[in-house]
Amino acid sequence: MNSHSQKTFDSKTNATFRAGSGDAEKTLRLIANLPAPPALEQRLKAALRRAPRNSSLLHWPAGPRSGWMQSTWARTAAAAAIVFVVAGGGWAVYSRVQPAEPSRAIALPPVAAHGGFSSANAIRTPRTLNGTALAHPLPNAVAEKKPMERAKNPVKSKNAAAKAVSP
Amino acid sequence: MEIAPSAVEDEARQQVEEEALDALVGQYASTLYRVAFSILRNPSDAEDAVQEAFLRVLRHRDTLGQIRDHRVWLIRIVWNIVLDRKRRAKTRPETDDVAELARVLPADGLSAEQRAAAAQHHAHVLSCVDRLPAKEREVMVLSAFEEMTSVEIASVLGITESSVRSRLFRARNLMADLLQHARSLR
Repeated sequence: MNSHSQKTFDSKTNATFRAGSGDAEKTLRLIANLPAPPALEQRLKAALRRAPRNSSLLHWPAGPRSGWMQSTWARTAAAAAIVFVVAGGGWAVYSRVQPAEPSRAIALPPVAAHGGFSSANAIRTPRTLNGTALAHPLPNAVAEKKPMERAKNPVKSKNAAAKAVSP
Repeated sequence: MEIAPSAVEDEARQQVEEEALDALVGQYASTLYRVAFSILRNPSDAEDAVQEAFLRVLRHRDTLGQIRDHRVWLIRIVWNIVLDRKRRAKTRPETDDVAELARVLPADGLSAEQRAAAAQHHAHVLSCVDRLPAKEREVMVLSAFEEMTSVEIASVLGITESSVRSRLFRARNLMADLLQHARSLR
């Protein structure tokens, strides 16, 4: 019973499937069998006659019908001469022109990542150290020396001050 | 003035080529048009595609002698042109297709109402065909041409004959599914 109902279901499904795809095939066949327009052939022939005949990229210049350009060997010789002149010219230019020096690398300032901040070429300089601090303050005589003189030779003035202090 | 023999040969060769091309046009223009129309579904587009195919043949007419089966070769050319055009063309509204089908499809002995209903039905079926995967759809469309064997379809699509059969089987099942689904929605 069960197998029978399964068979019936299968056959029904197959029938539906065939009917469904049959519909599609009928439509496609109908379209496939449509007649072409009556004057299609004439229009195509006319279009082909109007079309350029040559398939080459470079057309050979038109010359007199019985001129030298009609002979194959003359065409070949002319083509060979053109190739020779072009290749020779190229070689002459190549052999005379020296290759340029390789460009030096230029260090560019670091560029910040897209959307980030840059240093704007600012260079960090460390703060200079302060002078050494003396344990004992200098006597007034030395300390009151002219500031200009101290600036000129600070080491020398220091020694002189030491001599003056010592007994 | 004497005319060079090479010029005479060129003219004669050109004449032969023109005759061969004319013969190809006469023999296969209709088939190519139908193939193009089955995909593009527009008469002027199909005609343009056929013309482009023959212009390509004209450009490569030197190789005509090497072709074994001109029919399959030409169908392959027009097929590639049509697929390329279809890919580039913008999708048209379905109402255009229905109107076009009603105008083009044969309707002998049908009333205007029946004709419109038939066009609607065909448009619906074609929209289901369009929903098939490209590989299956292509085989299904080409299989509708009674004059094309599975070997020829395989040659046009550049696949094996067994692939054609399996794709056609899959296409039929998918198509039935799609149509059944559409019916159950109504």
